[in-house]
Order: sequence, then C-alpha cells, then structure tokens
Amino acid sequence: MTVIWTQTGIVENDPWTQPSAEDGPKLLPLAEALEHAQDNAPFGVVLQPADDVRALAPVLDRLILVALTFPAFSDGRAFSQAMLLRERLGYKAELRAVGTVLLDQIPLMLRTGFDSFAVEHAPTIQRLIDKRLPGIDLHYQPAADAAAQTPGYSWRRTALLNG
Amino acid sequence: MYRYDEFDHAFVAARVSQFRDQVERRLSGDISEEAFKPLRLMNGVYLQLHAYMLRVAVPYGTLNSRQMRKLGHIARIYDRGYGHFTTRQNIQFNWPALSDIPAILEELAEVEMHAIQTSGNCIRNVTADHFAGAAADEVADPRPYAEILRQWSSVHPEFSYLPRKFKIAVTAAERDRAAIQVHDIGLQLKKDAQGRLGFAVWIGGGQGRTPLLAKKIKDFLPEADLLSYVTAIMRVYNLHGRRDNKFKARIKILVHETGVEKLTQEIDAEWAQLKDGALKLPEADVAAINAYFAPPELAPRAEGWGELAAWQKSDSGFASWVGRNVAPHRHPDYAMVTISLKPIGGIPGDASADQMDAVARLAQEFGHDQIRVTHEQNLVLPHVALADLEPLYRALLTDGLATANAGLITDIIACPGLDYCALANARSIPVAQEISNRFADPARQADIGDLKIKISGCINACGHHHVGHIGILGVEKKGEELYQISLGGSGDENASIGQITGRGFGPDQITDAIETIVATYLANRTGADEPFIDCYRRIGADPFKAALYGSEAQAA
Amino acid sequence: MTTASFKTKVLTANRLTDGISVWLGANGEWVFSLKDAFLARHDEAVAALTAAGDQAQADNRVVDVSVIEIEETPCGPRPYRLRERIRADGPTIAYAPAAAARASEAA
Repeated sequence: MTVIWTQTGIVENDPWTQPSAEDGPKLLPLAEALEHAQDNAPFGVVLQPADDVRALAPVLDRLILVALTFPAFSDGRAFSQAMLLRERLGYKAELRAVGTVLLDQIPLMLRTGFDSFAVEHAPTIQRLIDKRLPGIDLHYQPAADAAAQTPGYSWRRTALLNG
Repeated sequence: MYRYDEFDHAFVAARVSQFRDQVERRLSGDISEEAFKPLRLMNGVYLQLHAYMLRVAVPYGTLNSRQMRKLGHIARIYDRGYGHFTTRQNIQFNWPALSDIPAILEELAEVEMHAIQTSGNCIRNVTADHFAGAAADEVADPRPYAEILRQWSSVHPEFSYLPRKFKIAVTAAERDRAAIQVHDIGLQLKKDAQGRLGFAVWIGGGQGRTPLLAKKIKDFLPEADLLSYVTAIMRVYNLHGRRDNKFKARIKILVHETGVEKLTQEIDAEWAQLKDGALKLPEADVAAINAYFAPPELAPRAEGWGELAAWQKSDSGFASWVGRNVAPHRHPDYAMVTISLKPIGGIPGDASADQMDAVARLAQEFGHDQIRVTHEQNLVLPHVALADLEPLYRALLTDGLATANAGLITDIIACPGLDYCALANARSIPVAQEISNRFADPARQADIGDLKIKISGCINACGHHHVGHIGILGVEKKGEELYQISLGGSGDENASIGQITGRGFGPDQITDAIETIVATYLANRTGADEPFIDCYRRIGADPFKAALYGSEAQAA
Repeated sequence: MTTASFKTKVLTANRLTDGISVWLGANGEWVFSLKDAFLARHDEAVAALTAAGDQAQADNRVVDVSVIEIEETPCGPRPYRLRERIRADGPTIAYAPAAAARASEAA
C-alpha cells in the first residue's frame, strides 16, 4: 500500500491519493494542466521525466502540488526537474516524489527540494516512521534544501536540524 | 597534498556508516540485490567472477606513504596479498568479503581515503596528470581543481543517478598526460592573455563501444566559473542524455546526436542562470585549496649531477633505467621517477603488499612522501633528487620494481579481463604476459622505442585499447577467445582512435601478430628517431594489413 | 523430455556474504567445487535446479544465479564456456606479483 510521508510523518487522508476525491483538487498531466489553467481552482500536476518543468511557469501560482515521477530508481531526471522547479521557477508548494522511491534516495530528494514522498516498500515505510533516514548531514554542494553555509569553503553546507 | 579537515573526516565517517547500514540491510534481506546493486556500486563494490571486488579511489592519483602502507595492509589482511592499480589511477582489491567491506572502509578513512563513487552512474574519481606539481611544462598544478571537483561531486544530490558513468580529467600542460580527449569532460588548465587562470573545456570524449574524441566547447572558462559551468553541463546531460539504451547513454552520444553547437548553446543558456550564483568560486577558497598542494621544499642537491654521470657509466642497468624511467623535474637537481608495475611476464598494474610497503618506505626516504598512480598502471615518485637515484634504484631492484621499460613495448596496459571480470569476454592478462615475455630482451625493446600496447577484455575498454598505438580487444566468438587488433590510437594531445586491422587472432596467434606489426614498423621507419605512431601515421594501415593478412588483405 | 542433444546442466551462483563462487550440490547445499555439483541430466532436474536457485536468491543466500551447461568428462564436469571454467578453476594466471617480478629480474 502506498503511503505519503513528509518530514513531519505519515500523511493521513492525503487528498491526492483518496479514491473518492471527486470534488477534491485535480492531479493532471502536463498538457491538461496547462489547459486547466483557464479556470481558477488550485490544482496539481504530475510530470513525467521527459516533461520540461519550465512549461509550468505561467500556471505556477495556481499549483498546489507537483508530482515528479521516478519510473525506475536509475532514472534521475526528476532530481534536475526538482532543482529547476525550486531554484529557477521559485516553486514553493508541495513537491512530491512518485514512482520508484527508494529509502537511500530520499535524502537526495530532500536536498533537491522534494518534500513529500509516495512510498510502497514496507521496510522503507518502517524506517521513515522510525525517522531513520540514511542521509549524511554534511554536504559538499549547495542545493535546494534549507542548509546552512558552513564556515570554510563556499561550496559546503550543513543540514539544519529539523529544517 | 590535500589533507582532510574536520568536515571531510565527519563526512567520510558518515558515508562509511551509511554503507555499513546498507550492507546490513542487504545481508538481513531488507533490500533485494536489485536495489542494493546501485548502492554498492556507488561505493566501489562489484561482484566479479570469483568474489566481490572493491575499487578504492586514489583522487587524481596522489598518495602519501601512510596511505600506500594502508593499501598494503588491506591487501594483506582482507585480500590475498596484492592489489591492482587501474587506468583510472585507482586501486582494486580482488577478493574482499562483502561483510568485511565496512571495516575496510573504516581503515581507509583513518588515512583519508574512501571508495566513494568509484563506480555507478555518477561522477567518478577525477583524474589528473600524474606528473602534476613536478612537471616543467605545466602552467599550474591541476590537482587543486581536481580536488574542488572531487568535493563538489561527492554524494551530489542531483547527479548521483545520471544516464551513465561520468569521468572528468584535468591537465595543465600542452603535453596531455591525462588523456582529456577521451573523457566525458576534459579540462585543460591554461592562462589567458592577462595571465589569469582558466580552462579549455572539452566534452563528449570516451571509449567503450563507440569511441569518440571530445569536442572543445569553451576556449577559456575563468577559474571562478568552474563549478557553475560543470553543473550546467551535468544538468543538461542528466535531463537529456539517453536512458533507453545503456550503450548510447554517455554524454558523447548526446553530443553526437544533438550536435556540438546546439548542445553548447543549451549548456551556455543553463550556465547563464547559474554563473553568478552560489557556485562561484571565491579566490580565497581556490587559494586555500592550492596551499595544500604547495610543492615540497626542494633543497639544492647539485652534487647529483656528477654522481649520476658516474653511476650511469659504471652500471648499464642503472643507465637504461634512468634513460627510460626518469624524467626531468622542474627543479634541475631533481627528477620524476616512474616505478614500473610491468615486470617482464608480470600482471600489468599488480603490486604485492610487500611492494606497496617498499614504495611507501622509499617515498619517505627519497621522495618527500609523495607517490602517484598513473593511468598507465605504474607508480611515480615525483620529487627525487638526482643524488638519490642510485640508492633508490638499488632498493627498487630488490623488490622487483626496477624494470626499465616505461613507455616501451612491455609497458602494457591491460584490464583484469576474463580472469576476474564478470563483464569480460576474453582474457587480457595472459596476452599481456606473453607479449611481454616475447619482447623481454632490453636491447630489442630499446630498438623498438616508444610503443604503447593497450589490451581490453571487452568492449567497455577499461584497457584503453582504442587509444593504444597497438590496441588489442578480446571478444568471444563461437565460445572461443578472439583478439581484434587496432592501430594508430593515441591518448595524448594528438589524440586519435585506432583503426581495426581486420579479422581477429586466436590466443595462440596474437603474439605472432604483434611481432609482425613490429617487424613491419622496423622495416618501414625512416630511422630509430621515427617512433611507431609517427611511422604509422605516415605510411597508413595498408603495409601492416598486408603483413598481417597477406593476399587476403589485397582481396578485401 | 530428454533428447540425444540434451546437455547436462549445473546451477551456479555467488555467495551473498563473500561473493565466492558456489554450485548447488546433490544434497541441496551450496558447494565450493564444481566437482561436487548436482548434475541435471533431464528437463525435470533442470526445473528443480531453477526452482532451488530462485529460492536461494529469495532467501538472500546467493546472488547471480545461473544454470550452466557442462560436459561430463572422466575428470568431472567441464563447463562449455571459458568464463564458467575460469569461475570453477580460478584465474588462469599466477597472481603473486612479488615472486613473479623477482623471477623476471633474476632471468
């Protein structure tokens, strides 16, 4: 079963994964999302790795969720899509990883700006519940997460506790 | 050389415990082999034919004695008493148990070493000129930039799941000893008209199934923009590199299919958004990293000149070793010494634990504690006084490390091949050994002169066969090993990809075929001052094909 | 169904903990020598091998499981592929570089 996890824990009643969310917000693929922008209701978009995230620029202020897809753990395009969304477009709302979301990739996803995760693998869910992420708090490069500039070399960062 | 600060120590320690946790989860069955494989690869752990293999990073090929001694210790305690230095300036251990690897990584961390990103579809160990910091012809030491790239690329959140592996090489001389044109990114450190440092940037070189030389996309990138520009290249590649076919996933194919001009525009457009951001390198940071690489204090040792001449006169073995394995240093009283890991009939690049200890001891005694690993699978002591050459030579001799063949026909590059490697189709090492034995006679080697033979046991080309003057590629045909020969390859500043001569040769024919090629060269050269590669470029492939295949070649 | 062209098969893998090459023995245990491997001489036996391999992989005891073809010789089973012969016998080269180097220096 898929659960949604964020850094505050498992999300109960996630509106995007409810089967009966008829009147809830819509989660649309890119092309439909750009059309949907005609009406004013907030909505979500799910992108595939080949989609250009920059196409979302005109509808950014109405988006309340962007889901980026990892079709396989080895397909890392969504890491760059996430960086562009956060750093280039300044997207501030929820950014969700969907598809093959591995425990060991979640720390990297957090750094590139993801803040929610659709997870299926039971041992992974348990580790997330236990708050035992296999990440490293010291970083050799700036990214899209809230990390502190450390004294010393300009490219280094350290994770903010509970950041 | 670079020394870890607290941040680096804490980072590597965290990476070791991260990997320990991953191994524990694998052994307990929490994660499948499929999920574990990319994790172990990103920490240099392969599963080979007989055991796991651990590839330890030697960043830009630079080691000190303490580190070399630790490598020997690991070989002795966790392996079978030896290690294999690779064409990527790294070292591989062939027999470690998976369950021991976390302990090995802890030992490595004690001496500021690791196995981070020595495999996987990520940015690999950054390589550099093995004579960096000592060569007379460099504009500056390239290693500080390799170190900055090493740090920046370590556990990079955006670039750890690239379409394919990614290799960066840095050189700082016109004479390219780092083969930058066959790397995903090649950087040549240079100075502009105002004397400022920057880089010529090449992308899209590589060997493997589709060998291609890199294209220059920037003539001068200011040093402050190094990380932002490389990030732009990586981002464009990560988003657009092919993922549908692993044989077409390297950036060289993206360059080839997109066209270098269009791709350069995309990279420049991305860079325009990044260049004034957080990745801009402050001068102070570059200076601080540079300070670690300050050359050792080299006291004048002018007495060496006279002593050297006398020793050379009295010992022909020493004289030929100096002739081949000793290169001029930028300080006139010093030299750069190549320690050949190519004993006649030996395994290219292998060193025993005892030999590693010996090299460590000699580097301390005679070499200002510095050791380099070359992409030609030899070691280098970059700062040896001429006055110390003779005692160094004597010591190397007793440890089987004084073979006087640097750059000669027996200085063969060979990948591990089918004797160890799960990807290989044919053996490489026995072929290298037989050629080495056949051409063992030092006088004959000297007569043949500079000749680079490079052998790969499969199309992945770890043995760099595409850029061998003579390249040998092992393939499997109808269950048998077959060796294809290519001629005219070169990995230096005049890089070229070798051309296949024709049908391959069986294991019992390949050495004779090499003999035929050498005989053809000797018969056609204008004189002893025309090396093999120049002769080949002048006369072309035909005389060699005719000699190899006779009338068959004419018919074809 | 057994036919005249059927080639005898064995099951091989690498042990998870240390990567050492192993073969499935007649008693159902993994053994370190190809000589002790269980020889599957008909399709039903091969199916049993495959099932045992899948189970051992699922149990995280071994990795890289494969069924390979061998020839039955008086000296024991001999794989048709060189790769598998090298896996069974070890590297074809002497890997003691110090000794080899000293020998060559002496020569």
